[in-house]
Amino acid sequence: MSNPTGAEVVVDSVAKSFGKVSALRGVSLRIAPSEAVLITGRSGSGKSTLLALIGGLEDPDAGRVLIDGRAIWSQPHPAHLRRELVGFVFQRHLLLEALSARANVEVPLIGTGARARERRRRSLELLGEVGLADRAEHLPSQLSGGERQRVAVARALANEPRLLLADEPTGALDSGTSERILDLIFGLRDRLGMTMVVVSYDPAIGARADRTVTLIDGQIVSELSTGEPGSEPAERREPVGSAGDSADRPGGRVADGRELPARPSAVSTCR
Amino acid sequence: MVAIIFTNLVRRRSRTVFTAAGIALGVATIVALLAFTRGLNQTAAGFVHLGGSGLGVFQANVSDPTASILPESTVARLQARPYVARATPLLLMVEAVKHEPAAVAFGVDPHGFFAQGLVILDGGKPRSWQTEVLVGDRLAAQLHLTPGAVLTLKGHPYRVAGVYHSGILFEDSGAVLSIAQARLLTGEPREQTDVAIQLAPGRRASTVAREIERDFPGTQVISDPQQALRAGANGTLISKAVLVIVVIALIVGAISVTNTMAMSIIERQGELGLLSTVGWSPLRVAALIFGEGIAVSVLGAAVGLLFGVIGGDLLVRALGAGAYITPSVTAWGLGRGLLVGVAIGVLGGIYPAWRVTRMKPLKALSGT
Repeated sequence: MSNPTGAEVVVDSVAKSFGKVSALRGVSLRIAPSEAVLITGRSGSGKSTLLALIGGLEDPDAGRVLIDGRAIWSQPHPAHLRRELVGFVFQRHLLLEALSARANVEVPLIGTGARARERRRRSLELLGEVGLADRAEHLPSQLSGGERQRVAVARALANEPRLLLADEPTGALDSGTSERILDLIFGLRDRLGMTMVVVSYDPAIGARADRTVTLIDGQIVSELSTGEPGSEPAERREPVGSAGDSADRPGGRVADGRELPARPSAVSTCR
Repeated sequence: MVAIIFTNLVRRRSRTVFTAAGIALGVATIVALLAFTRGLNQTAAGFVHLGGSGLGVFQANVSDPTASILPESTVARLQARPYVARATPLLLMVEAVKHEPAAVAFGVDPHGFFAQGLVILDGGKPRSWQTEVLVGDRLAAQLHLTPGAVLTLKGHPYRVAGVYHSGILFEDSGAVLSIAQARLLTGEPREQTDVAIQLAPGRRASTVAREIERDFPGTQVISDPQQALRAGANGTLISKAVLVIVVIALIVGAISVTNTMAMSIIERQGELGLLSTVGWSPLRVAALIFGEGIAVSVLGAAVGLLFGVIGGDLLVRALGAGAYITPSVTAWGLGRGLLVGVAIGVLGGIYPAWRVTRMKPLKALSGT
């Protein structure tokens, strides 16, 4: 497997509404190459919308998102940029049920025009990478939840993305399986050096990320850094908060200026 | 891509089968009708060359050539023209043969070139044209007739004198009797259906046809098979019916494919959104949908071609026209059926494919 470097992500004063609902209101964020960022917040806070905008799945109503200096929605073919730079992992694995694990991993490669033999070689290599070499020809229905998510991770890596976006990657998994999936994702990130943005309630992810960004009502209310990207062992990091209260009590300082319990190595930013 | 198309069609087996079946029905109808009209065309060619003639003179504006009536005097007047070498009257009787209503009985002048040109395979020519007839080899085989047997025409028994072969389906599936007897049976003492003409040396059929129609108002001359088809309102009707059915098959088939594919993309929004998310361009996703539509149509068309070939025969049998028409399946006829099938897929795939290109990935993903 090659070793892509991470992409830089700049979110610049982005706003997005769905009908009368404002999902994001003037959000700005810079993510350094190879940085792993957790975006957290309560349900409806706009975190998944922010991830979708970063990944070019939606276009912002205002502002812009730049990946390595390129605005996805200014490209003539946004899908091409996604294919070139971005890998996605979702809470629901979203595998094509009629295709084998190997064929699912091959799907992004079809868009690149890679030959069948090359697609096969690459998909088997990736399935080996996620520990599913012996399950390559199984259908998703024949795999466990954790195995399906591993296939989804392999698929996300198929095009050697420089930016990996994960929306609740462990949301549908039990704690043991979640741990193994996180080990896999963060291990791959450490090894391949891609930039990673994860949306989750899961406090364990906060402990592994370089930075935690908290959203409330479509605005960033805090950014907590755990040190230089990749420099700090995961076990020394602290979780941002539990699923139930992480959005309400993210640590640092919230927009209205209230002090929240301070966390070690945390840098809070008011917005 | 092809593998995914195939997988998707197999995954929704019932829908694929029913859509393909609808298309197959349309294509089969088209192929069967094309085979039927081609057979009709060949039969019409027989009309042109009845008894080895160069062309035939019929009454104008009749529902079909067998319904033509010309006065007896026409033969002598035609014979007097310099462009005619020989003319002989024919009186065609349909539904005259008991047990084989599709067979045609030809009332002929025993001394004319029609009767003289028949090749006798078994028995001989009638010694008495008042009581004896000749039968074509196909009719003889169908009714198990041999010389000496009795053939009933319009309720009157005639002895079979011999079995002939002419090479013209129409004639070989019928019987020949004297025109005098035919006039007695039809109750039309001084009439005939048409006049078969052999051209004078050096004369062209098309030129002579124009001259005859000018010299004999109220007649039409059939000098080629297409003309024979057009000469009868029935033939024209069939040709137009084929065209109408082709258009209807296209419209119904395209709507069916559109409906199937539109439903499919609504059900598969999440899947299509995912393809877009992982970097498939809108055009590539549209190509997938378009490809599925065409694949269903080609599948339907292939089955339709097979059924069409079988259906052509069944159609002729159902119409009781086996003696007149042998359905003729040609490569071009099959090609047209296949083209219609592919056209159904193309037309039916356009709208769903266009819709897919308008889909936003996030919205599509949330549709799962």
